[in-house]
Order: sequence, then structure tokens, then C-alpha cells
Amino acid sequence: MIGLLRFVTFPHVRQHQLRTSLTLVGIALGVAVIVAISIVNRTLVSSFQRTIDLIAGKAVLQVLNAESGIKESLFAVIRDTDGVKDAAPAVQGFLPVVEIEGERLFVYGVDLLTDSIIRDHQFVSASFDFETALDFIARPDSVALTESFSRRLELPIGAKITLATSRGKRTYTVRALLKEEGTAKVFGGSFALMDLPVAQLAFGKERKLDIVDLTVEEGEEIERVRERIQARLDGAAEVKRPSSRGQQIESLLTSFRVGLFFVSLIALFVGFFLIYNTVSISVVQRKREIGTLRCLGLLRRDVLMLFVVEALLMALLGSLAGVLIGALLAEMAVLLVGKTVSNLFLEVDLAGTVMTLRELWVGLGSGLGVSLLAGLFPAMEATRVNPLENYRQAAWTPRSQRISRASLVGLVLLVISLLLWLFSPVGLGGLERFTLGVVGTLLFLLAICFLSPLFILWSVRVLRLCLMPFTWAGGRLALDNLARSPVRCGITVATLMISLAAIFTIAVFIHSVRGSLLSWVDRMVTADLIVSSSARTAGPINVPLKEDLAEEFRAIPGVRILDLYRMIRSTYRGRPIFVESFSVEASGAVRALPTVEGEWRRILKQMAVGEGVIVSESFQSRFGKGLGDTIDLPTPSGLVTFTVLGVYVDYSSDAGTVLIDRALYKKLWQDNLVDAFDLWLDPGTDEGRVIQEIRRNYGEKFQLFISTHRELRETVVAIMEQSFNVNYAVLVVAVVVATLGVINTLLASVLDRTREIGVLRAIGATQHQIQMMVEAEAGWMGLNGGILGLVAGTIISYHHVVYNTKVLTGWTFQYHYPFDVASLCILLAVVLCLLAGYGPARKAASSNIVAAVGYE
Amino acid sequence: MIRLFNVRKAYRQGKNEITALAGVSLHIREREFAVIVGPSGSGKSTLLHLMGGLDRPTEGEVMVDGRIISQMPDNPVTLFRRRNIGIVFQFFNLLPTLTAVENVMLPLILDGQPKVKASARAEALLDRVGLSGRNDHLPEELSGGENQRIAIARALVFSPQILLADEPTGNLDSGTGETVLELVRLINREEGCTVVMVTHNPRAAEYGDRVIHLRDGLIEEGRSP
Repeated sequence: MIGLLRFVTFPHVRQHQLRTSLTLVGIALGVAVIVAISIVNRTLVSSFQRTIDLIAGKAVLQVLNAESGIKESLFAVIRDTDGVKDAAPAVQGFLPVVEIEGERLFVYGVDLLTDSIIRDHQFVSASFDFETALDFIARPDSVALTESFSRRLELPIGAKITLATSRGKRTYTVRALLKEEGTAKVFGGSFALMDLPVAQLAFGKERKLDIVDLTVEEGEEIERVRERIQARLDGAAEVKRPSSRGQQIESLLTSFRVGLFFVSLIALFVGFFLIYNTVSISVVQRKREIGTLRCLGLLRRDVLMLFVVEALLMALLGSLAGVLIGALLAEMAVLLVGKTVSNLFLEVDLAGTVMTLRELWVGLGSGLGVSLLAGLFPAMEATRVNPLENYRQAAWTPRSQRISRASLVGLVLLVISLLLWLFSPVGLGGLERFTLGVVGTLLFLLAICFLSPLFILWSVRVLRLCLMPFTWAGGRLALDNLARSPVRCGITVATLMISLAAIFTIAVFIHSVRGSLLSWVDRMVTADLIVSSSARTAGPINVPLKEDLAEEFRAIPGVRILDLYRMIRSTYRGRPIFVESFSVEASGAVRALPTVEGEWRRILKQMAVGEGVIVSESFQSRFGKGLGDTIDLPTPSGLVTFTVLGVYVDYSSDAGTVLIDRALYKKLWQDNLVDAFDLWLDPGTDEGRVIQEIRRNYGEKFQLFISTHRELRETVVAIMEQSFNVNYAVLVVAVVVATLGVINTLLASVLDRTREIGVLRAIGATQHQIQMMVEAEAGWMGLNGGILGLVAGTIISYHHVVYNTKVLTGWTFQYHYPFDVASLCILLAVVLCLLAGYGPARKAASSNIVAAVGYE
Repeated sequence: MIRLFNVRKAYRQGKNEITALAGVSLHIREREFAVIVGPSGSGKSTLLHLMGGLDRPTEGEVMVDGRIISQMPDNPVTLFRRRNIGIVFQFFNLLPTLTAVENVMLPLILDGQPKVKASARAEALLDRVGLSGRNDHLPEELSGGENQRIAIARALVFSPQILLADEPTGNLDSGTGETVLELVRLINREEGCTVVMVTHNPRAAEYGDRVIHLRDGLIEEGRSP
């Protein structure tokens, strides 16, 4: 085999360096995307787990209740449970540094005298002894910063730092510096330690705790202790092992990660066609060579092995490069993804993107596996080459049998894909049904690929009829060439089609999401002004404010209605959900939430008297709870059972959201914080004047952000579009790979027809005519790919937007068709192909006539 | 009609330079049927390619019908060749996916002529070369002789002043070869077309008015008429 590679493969590769390089780049890009996404996915979960582990210290159990918090009075109950050795309470959260844009501190409030039992805080000053600690605690403005943060912001011991707290701006004094070890390593050193009561005040969590870390007595079984505490808490909080909390983010990010996986699948699919294309062309070009080798005694299996090994060698080189590029891409992608996750889900302290052996194998495995699959079929074709091939005139003539066989396979696949789409078993879970839908989509794409040669033949026929009255020689010759090799051109058109279908699907998805989201925002947030602190929208990076401000806002002339909005992370059956609340009494009349179950006005009445809650579509989809059912939620007051009064449309999170009246929320959650003040103004009131007044009186002190309704809409759209950044990047890769495929095909086509082009030149075709002929082929392939891509994209996007997304997230989106993107897609396909065809066309036009028509 | 002035043609093959023509001067008169003979590698085909403007000499000049085609840019020389020079190859060089009539009309199509007119002209020419019933056949459905006759019809589609034939019988049996040669001679006699034919077949050479012997890239002076 090595001899064959040396004498047959390597000279061929040397002769076709450009084409080989294009294929290698294609494989490398495809593998890079897969590796990058794999690294990003793992980094997200491992970073979250790492943060938990660092903060947890020696704790083997943690008592927590998401953002709902735990009543401080429960601490004694927890600490005094049998088997608990040590218990350390804490509150935690982010506080922005005032007047330093983008700078935030992860503040950890602990009982400094007892916390060292669980966490080893390493202070820089050796003199941070018991007395210093007492002094630190005694002064209510003490804060300890990490060495790196203190150095970066030039805040030595004794310096003042102002933070935006839930009570407005507060100035603290740096009284100790922490070595960046253990807990202090989180969030790149942007970490601060406060005494528990000081932190509770800053976060507005008086008499509440976020977490209690525990160790257990020697000889005690951790699980038994966990059960004992859980029983004593009566649903007011959950007891977990730190090591199991990583699953939380996995659950929260499922659809996000599935989306990324779906996109990497596209890259893989396009890569498959590129390799198939390359090996097929290689076989066609070397038919004579294979014939000669067969004459010389080469066995069929040797021919098979030759092409398979060639494909694998190419894949190995491309995959190795892809793994390296993927590791670099991951560094960039993780920042993008991290930002999206922070915006949409929760703050993740992203660790460095170190590639593990697993990702190396995923990259190499997918590259080699796909190449093997893609190369096998054309390699088998090569084994059928007759030893007498050498004596035949070299021409790649269409084989109708092959086309009809391919079309038959296409039809069968089409039927299977439609069956998978239409008859997805209801008994399966959301993820499983989504996976089936994706499999159906891939089969559908494959079906179109198999049908594309037939489509090319039909389209050539149609265009021939259209061109009949014209005498454009280049166009006529181009059509002849396409009709002659519909399979080879079909592969290129298919590659293009897949990329365009993917682009179009994503475009329709974004278009539909945007449309649905905006109409939802318009109904959900009807307020004229939204006032919040530190972040424009509620969510993980928001710093909630105390509700005291409400009265002051209400007194501003022109404010008709004022309502208080709160959104916190909570759990249901141990899985993360969101709980949001507003006052039905205050703003029920001016809100009109879209509902899918229950009548809005009746729901409002029932909510106002505390009869129950409403849940989002995602909640219903995840947990199967709808109108009339009951749900148990862990609140600081214990496990409370609520009746579901209706199901509403909510796009804030696919984890599932429960909406509750603020009065009931405040009572049960013992939380009077506010994420946003919603203000409705009297008709004719000058919006600008109200904004100015709020800014003047409270803006500086409370670090307020004031958004108008329009600005909020824009923010929502910006956040949504940001979450698609990685998808866009991958699609660009898919398009690049598809374009490489077009260049590849055209180069091969030109090389394959060297003699013919020579003859055309000899009988009087000008260089321009030859160039136009190749460009026309390229353009026509682009048009075919564009049309097929658009058709496939339209069908797939409809299925994805209306059905698959619903299955995975529970969200119902209105299908919005972007006509502008549709026409752009076709234009893009044609322009890309024309650009891709330029090089091969020039090569064809400048071919040496004598060498081309010479005898072989 | 065709004049070559001290034409030299050299090729690079790896690091070596191969001289195909070492300084050939030649005059082919109007309506003449000239035959170029010589052993393999003597430069026969190279000479023909230069006359057809398919290639350019390394040195010297090639003049056809009063124009120095060796110095003309590619586009004008292509258009000149299209309309004034018909070329016939040993291996026919027909496009395998086009029918007989489409192959013949191809130069007219390249010239932008209406399809109906081109088709009528091609059919007439196929009739002229004795293939009237074969219009819609693909090359692979026809014999070697028939393919070569299609190639001749294609070469004549513009009623060129010059017909260049490169071993037109090299790929045919002797009987078919004779028929093709008769056809070429008929074209020369009846249409006044200047013919330059390359062959190494002595029997074929007898059809010409003049035989030019080439050896090692030079005309063998003693044997030239």
C-alpha cells in the first residue's frame, strides 16, 4: 500500500496541489467548528462546577434555595441537625463598581470568625489575626479585595471603593487583601469578602442567607445527613452535594447547547460532501490510471484501499489542523458564548479553554469517521473501473441508471424524513423528540442531495428551452457540460444547498424569534419607562433595588401607574426555573399577556386574590403542568403548593417561568427587592421630563438605568441576536466550505475537459467564450444550489420554528418568512459561485491548445 | 497563401530545451494540396499548429493570407482561425455529448450565428460529406470514418480558405482512410481550398500536389520539390 501511495497518490496530489489544499482547508474548518463547540460546551459546565468547587471549599453539603434564599432563622436548624459538624452561612452576588465601566465584584458575605472552618481565606498580611478580624467586623464598611484586583484598580489597604448596592451607592474601605487562592480565584480575582451583615445589607437580603456550607461528623454518611436536613427544612431549601450542582447548568443550558450541537452538525454534513466530492473527482480523473493499474494486476480491493487510505490521510491532516484551529476558535467562541450565557442564564466564571484528550478524539474521530463514510462510496465506484478504460475516449458521460437509482434513494429518504417529522412518538421526552426531528431534517437534506442530479437535468432542460432563441455559445456549452455530469455537479449543488438551507433556516428562526419576541415584549412590557439598576433588563447580572423608591417615583407628576417587577432564579423538582412577579392590582389593567391556556382577565382576578400562579409554555412543556394542575415551589417560607390558573407565552427563559402576584410573592418569599420599576405615564406627559427628574434625584445615588419602551425593545433584540453570534460564525464556515467545494468541482471539471476546451479553442472559441462557459456553469450551479437551498430551507425552517423549537423549549413562535433574506440567499449563491468560478475559468481560458488536443 | 519565414520552435521539457523546428522557411500557394511527411518527432504537427495559429513560434514569422498571425494577439488570431482555417485532427476531437449536426454547427454557434441558419448549413455539409442520415447521432454511435467526416464537415463550416489536417487517416482502416482522403482532395479541387496535410503514410502522401519532407525540425532540401 505504501508503494501504491508513493507511486500513484503522491504524484497525483503534487499535480493537484490547489485542489488538495482546498479540501484540506474544508476538512480543517469543519473539524475546527466541532472541536471548538465541544470545548465551549464543556468549558461552560466545567467552569460553573469549578466556581462552585472553589467557593464550596471543604463543604460536602450545601443548603440553598436558588435566588429565593433561606431564612436566617433556619441556620440554627441546619447547624443543629445530627451529623453536621460545621456550618457556615453566606450571601453572595455581584455588585458593580461605581464609575468604572464594566467592573464588577463577586461579593461573598460570610461570618469571618467561623467561615475559615469551611474555606481557607489566605490574607496577604500575616497580621490578619483574630483581633484584626474583630476590627474588620466591627466596622460596617469593611471589605477585603484580592491582591490582583487591588493592584489593577490601585486600591491599597485603606482605599475607598464605591459599589452600587440595592440601597444605592455605598462606599467601603479596603481593610484586608486576599491572596488569590481558593475561593478568591473565582471570576479572575474580581472577588471581595464582606462580613455577613454588611453583605446582607448591600444585597437587600436582611435576615436571609443564600447558602449554608456544611461539613459532616466523621463516620457519618453524607447522604444520611443530607436527608436529615432536607426533612427538617420542610421544602424551604434544598440540600445538595457541591459536585452535583454542575448538572443545574447542564439542565439550564440544554437548548442552548443543543442549538450549538445542531450547528456543528451542519459543519460536519457540509464537510462530508466536500470529501465525497473530492474523492469522486479524484476517481473520475484517474479512471485511465486505475485502468492501467488494473491491467498491471492491481486487485479491486487494492483500488478500494487506495482511495480509502487517500481519503483517510487527507482527513488525518485536515483533522489535525482542524483540532488546532478549533482550540484557537474556542478561545474566541467561549467569550461570545460566555457573554450570551451571562445575559440569558447566569454568570459563569469561564475558565481557560484547555483542550482535553476527549476533544482531540472528537475532532479526529469526526474528521476520520466522516471521511471514511464519504470516501467509501466513490472508492467502491473506483473498483468497478474496467482494465480497458485506458483505451476508451476519456469522457464522463451521464449514466442514467445511476441517476435514477440516486433519485429512488432520494425519494425513499424523503418519505422517511417526512414520516419522522409527522409521526414523532408523543411518549418520548422533548430532547428525544427534538433529536428525532433533527434526524428527520438530516435525512430530508440527504434526500434533496440524492435528488439534486435529477433537478439539474430538469433545470438544464428548462434553461435550454429558455435559451433557444439566443445564440449565446458559452451558455449552451455550459448547459451541455452540466447535463453531462449531473452527479458530480449535483454533489456540489448539494453542498451549496445544505449551507444555504442552514443559513436560511437560521435566518427564518431569528426573524421569527425577533417577530414573536417583539410582539411579546409589546404585550408583556407595556410601561412607558422601565427603571432598573446596573443592568437594563432583569436577569442574572441585575442588582435589585429596595422597593422604598417606589413611593418617590409615584410622587413624580405625570406618573399614572407604577408597578414593581421582580424575577429570580428558583427550582422546581430540583431543576432550575424562574419566578417572576408583578402587582396585578397595580398594573393588571394595562398588561395583556398572551395566554395559551386560561382567559387573561379571569386569571388576573384570581391572581389578585392569591388563588394561584400562571406558568409559561416552557414550564408546561418541561414539567407537564397546565391549567388546573398544582405545583409545589420551595420558598423561604417552606414548600408551598400553588394552583396553575393558566399558561402564558413567555420567552424570557426556556427553563420555565412561574408568574405570581407580587403581594403573594413578597409574603412567601419574604423579599421586597425590585428588579425593575415599570412606569406608565399620563397621556401627554413629557417622557423626557420624567426621565430627567428621576436621573436628577435618584440616578446618581442608585446608579439607575432608565429605558423607554423602545430602548427595551432594542435591548431585547440585541441580546437575542448576540445569542446567535456563534451560529453565524459557524454558518460562515459552512458557506466557505461549500464555496471551496464549488471551486474544487469546477477545477476538476476544467481539468477533466482539458482536451475538449482545447478543441473548442482550436475550432475558434475565444478565451473570453471559454471563460464565460465556465462562469456560466458556476453561476448555474449557484442558481440551482440557491433554489434548492431555499426550498429545503423553507421547509426545514418551518418545521424547526413551528415544531422542533416547541418540542425542545416549549416556546411557540410565529413563522415569519424573510423575503429579503430569501432573495439574498439566491443572490449570494450565484455570486459566490461566480467568484469561485473565476479562477477555474481563467485556467480554462488560458489552457494550451496544442497540449490539450495532442494525442495521449 | 501560407508563408513561414525562418521559423524556429523550441519547448522546455524539464531542464532541457527540445527543438521541434530548427528554422523552417516555406511557402504554400493558394489552392495547393501540400503534404508534410517525416518520421515521428520531426516537427510535422508543430508546423501545422503554427500555421493554424494554435501555437506561436519561438523565432521567425508565420504569415497566412497576408497577415502575420504569429504576432497577432490571441483574440484576433482565434477569430481569424475560426473563419478562415479548418482543422481536422487524427482523433476527430468531436464533443461526445453533441450530435453530428451540433458538432458541425459549433463554430457557427461560437460565432454567434442564429441556430436555424447554423443548423441548415451543418445539415448541408453533412450531406456533402455523405452523412445525411446521421444528423442526430452521437459520435459514439458512429464509426471512425463517419466521425472523421463529421470533423471535416465541421472544418468546412465557414468555407475556409485553408484546411489543415493532422494525420486525418491515422486512426482509420485503409479503406475508410481512402474515402476520407478522396473527400479532402475533392474539397481542394472543387472548392479551391488550400490543404496542408500531415501524414507519415506514403499512400496518403500521394494525394498531395507537393510533398514536404521534414527531419529533425528542418525541411530536407534535397527532397523538396
